[in-house]
Amino acid sequence: MINKNPYIPVPVEITKIIDEVDTHDIKTFRLVFLNKDDEANFKYLPGQFAELSIYGKGESPIGIASSPTEPGYVEFTVMRMGAVVPGTVTSALHDLDEGAKIGIRGPLGNSWPIEFLEKKNIVVVGGGFAFTTLRSLINYMLHKDNRKRFGDITVIYGARNPGLLLYKDELAAWEKRDDINSIITVDKGDEAWQGREGFVPAVCKEVAPSPKNSVALICGPPVMIKFTLPVFFELGFSKENILTSLEMRMKCGIGKCGRCNVGYKYVCSDGPVFSLGELDELPRDF
Amino acid sequence: MLKKISINKISELAAALMDKGLLLAPVKEISGYNFVEIKDPKQVDLDFHNTIASPKAAFFPHKEDFIKYETGKPIDTASVVALNLPPAFLFGARPCDVKSFEIMDIHFNASGIVDPFWKQRRETAVIFGYAFDLEKPAQPEEFYQTLGIGAADPEGSDVFMVKKGGDLLLNSVTPKGEKILAELKVLNEGKAADKKYYEEYIKKGKEYKTRSMCLEPGAITKKLEDLFYNTDFWTRVSSACISCGVCTFVCPTCYCFDICDDTLFAQGIRRRVWDACMFTDFTLEASGHNPRTHVYQRLRQKINHKYSYHVRKYGVISCVGCGRCTKHCPVNIDIYSLIEDAMKA
Amino acid sequence: MTDFRQIENNLKKEAKRLLEAGEVAVVLAYGRGYDEKHPMPFAAKAIAHVESLVFNEYCNFNMARYLMRYPWGTKIAIAAKAADSRAIIQLVQEEKVRREDLVIMGIPAYGMKNQKTNEVIDSKTTGGLYNPVIYDILLGEEIHGQKIISPYEVLAEYEAMDKEERWAFWKKEFDKCIRCYACRKACPMCYCDPCFIDQNKPRWADKAPQSPGNMMYHLTRFHHLAGRCIDCGECSRACPVDIPLYLFHKKVAKECEEMFGQAAGMKLEDKPALVDFRVEDSDKILE
Repeated sequence: MINKNPYIPVPVEITKIIDEVDTHDIKTFRLVFLNKDDEANFKYLPGQFAELSIYGKGESPIGIASSPTEPGYVEFTVMRMGAVVPGTVTSALHDLDEGAKIGIRGPLGNSWPIEFLEKKNIVVVGGGFAFTTLRSLINYMLHKDNRKRFGDITVIYGARNPGLLLYKDELAAWEKRDDINSIITVDKGDEAWQGREGFVPAVCKEVAPSPKNSVALICGPPVMIKFTLPVFFELGFSKENILTSLEMRMKCGIGKCGRCNVGYKYVCSDGPVFSLGELDELPRDF
Repeated sequence: MLKKISINKISELAAALMDKGLLLAPVKEISGYNFVEIKDPKQVDLDFHNTIASPKAAFFPHKEDFIKYETGKPIDTASVVALNLPPAFLFGARPCDVKSFEIMDIHFNASGIVDPFWKQRRETAVIFGYAFDLEKPAQPEEFYQTLGIGAADPEGSDVFMVKKGGDLLLNSVTPKGEKILAELKVLNEGKAADKKYYEEYIKKGKEYKTRSMCLEPGAITKKLEDLFYNTDFWTRVSSACISCGVCTFVCPTCYCFDICDDTLFAQGIRRRVWDACMFTDFTLEASGHNPRTHVYQRLRQKINHKYSYHVRKYGVISCVGCGRCTKHCPVNIDIYSLIEDAMKA
Repeated sequence: MTDFRQIENNLKKEAKRLLEAGEVAVVLAYGRGYDEKHPMPFAAKAIAHVESLVFNEYCNFNMARYLMRYPWGTKIAIAAKAADSRAIIQLVQEEKVRREDLVIMGIPAYGMKNQKTNEVIDSKTTGGLYNPVIYDILLGEEIHGQKIISPYEVLAEYEAMDKEERWAFWKKEFDKCIRCYACRKACPMCYCDPCFIDQNKPRWADKAPQSPGNMMYHLTRFHHLAGRCIDCGECSRACPVDIPLYLFHKKVAKECEEMFGQAAGMKLEDKPALVDFRVEDSDKILE
């Protein structure tokens, strides 16, 4: 936690904004701490999140998309909410330009269990927008200091169409590397698309990663998760070796405000990362 | 240390405490008694059974300001609201309410990240607990006996008070309490007979009758876990519930809050404000997804939080049996009967 | 005095008959609470539930509040005192429920009491009526010959205040508000989803319980109920801090009645006063 008072954000500057998708409703914000101390105190691991804060609008919990191996900044990929419930903070963020200053509170939550993942083969499955903290993990594992700590890395990432894929430059770079097996798929390609077409569950079935000494990390829209899980069960993955990251409405982010509980666990402080085994113990209340 | 004062002179004691800091004590308002910050020592009125709202607001105010800012101004011009608290005296809290502080301490102070506001308010306060009048019967809503709380339990208070005829006996429970009693010149020394009376009163308090059932935390937790998917049960018990926030706002152990930015023109304050799991939008996500759209899901959450989740997470039931939720429910939902029902279901 | 026992027996009998015959899927009435003085609103869905039905002087709840929990087409029997029947009419006018879905079990009653104070509250609520305005079955005998109290009689003291005094009065009352929203949740006419106060874009008021947010909430709600409030008094009864909300509602209802010659929820074929436009309407509202 950066601040002695866990409810008080520290200032950061937006130094770079990347418009990620054709629909222009997902942007990646690169944030640089205004105070060096705050940066030093913001020690995070892939899978954690932070509360981005705009005075007058509020706070929004967003997963950290950058990897701790990239010093000097933190990145957040934010979708502009508003189709059903107006997302005050996310729209305000989207309206900001580079150079704007906002607040940040964190890092919050548990992380992808790095120690548990070490020496194992990692299968990362992502769908659409829910790829941000997985990207953090992939970049973390691919870093030259860390790569040896993990076994084979397989990434299966899909989006509805090519224009909706996040981090396009990085995806292209991963495809060229031989220490990661990256499979990118879209539900439906366009004229320019030369890659794979097909839904994530079907692609998983086709790729059929071996369950031997493997952990699968699956994040995506509910419908993708629903059809992907049976594929992994069939392949022989146990519930303890399938991890996901939950979303619930959050406010405080530190397990105090009582909002994001699933059973007796708070998603913000006990999660957001849970194994399916852990989730089985909890009531279906999310 | 046992001291005493005539109840007629309670305003003198109140004035003495006001000289030392902020005094929160029961005051008779139009609709009933409530703990309020005393401005005039004559306001203090100990002739009450229990207050409408619980005294939790002493440590967890309905609104707590975090940051003041001006919209449109640079972020570094925002200022953190300093919490320079004067010493405070919570005067006349009933044993069940005092117990609630202990339960809230586990959540705010002893688990995970410490809540600085709760911690500071707790540390600067001296609690004067006050035994229920054992001569008078308990109110029909109350059931603290079920939770193992007596009507005259001094634990958790710094000073504990007992009524003896026209006198008020004040006994120190903690060093903090002893210090303050020693400083209060308006008090007289308690006699040996007073001491005996006090001790017997505490003992008798254990037998004070409220509604009571055998409630073992492990058993009710297990029962509620088994009942979770029994939608028929939850629909039935919630059929009257109108999803307002009365029960949670008067409850001494409900701690859910919202963090919001309240702005008036350019002046803004980020603060926390009590929230209620009974409100429809409590868990509404920005995506539009809401895991608890039905009334029964929200009531189930509330009951489970108190009697199951809290036990699993912190080892204690998060209810002290004060009966406020039942008493003030506009549709008379009774948490005691609900738990009884659940145990039988 | 109303024969509460007789009404309770009739209620059970009719509920049983309707459920048995499959004429309705649910009976909205009153059930046993934790003691005699604290009955609860209850939805009987099976014959086995009928035994739990009760009726006594503390059954103040406006059951019309629960009608919108059921989708159109669900056949519902509803226990309706005078106020409930007016709420039903108003909801039918506003097309929130359909008359043909309802079996209205009318309850004529006087001597209804506030459970907290034990005070008889007939004059504070029900708009001075003792008999339901509309019903299909009557569970007791119609009440005649009782003194008819004007629903606006309690306004005398309030109306004697001038503008400044009224402002000061409400300011003081609203300062007590803890924003538990029991008033809007108990109200049969407050069915907006989401309620304006819960909207976050725009945010109409602070979330914290203080003026001006409290003022914003209550004044907006008052005006939102203009010409729609059927004077059941549920908002005031539900309020844990006893804000006399009914005073404002009654005042607005009185003005509406004077201006438009119609009280809310009295005739099925009426349109809500502020929805309906007639050339001869009073212009007083614009002054």
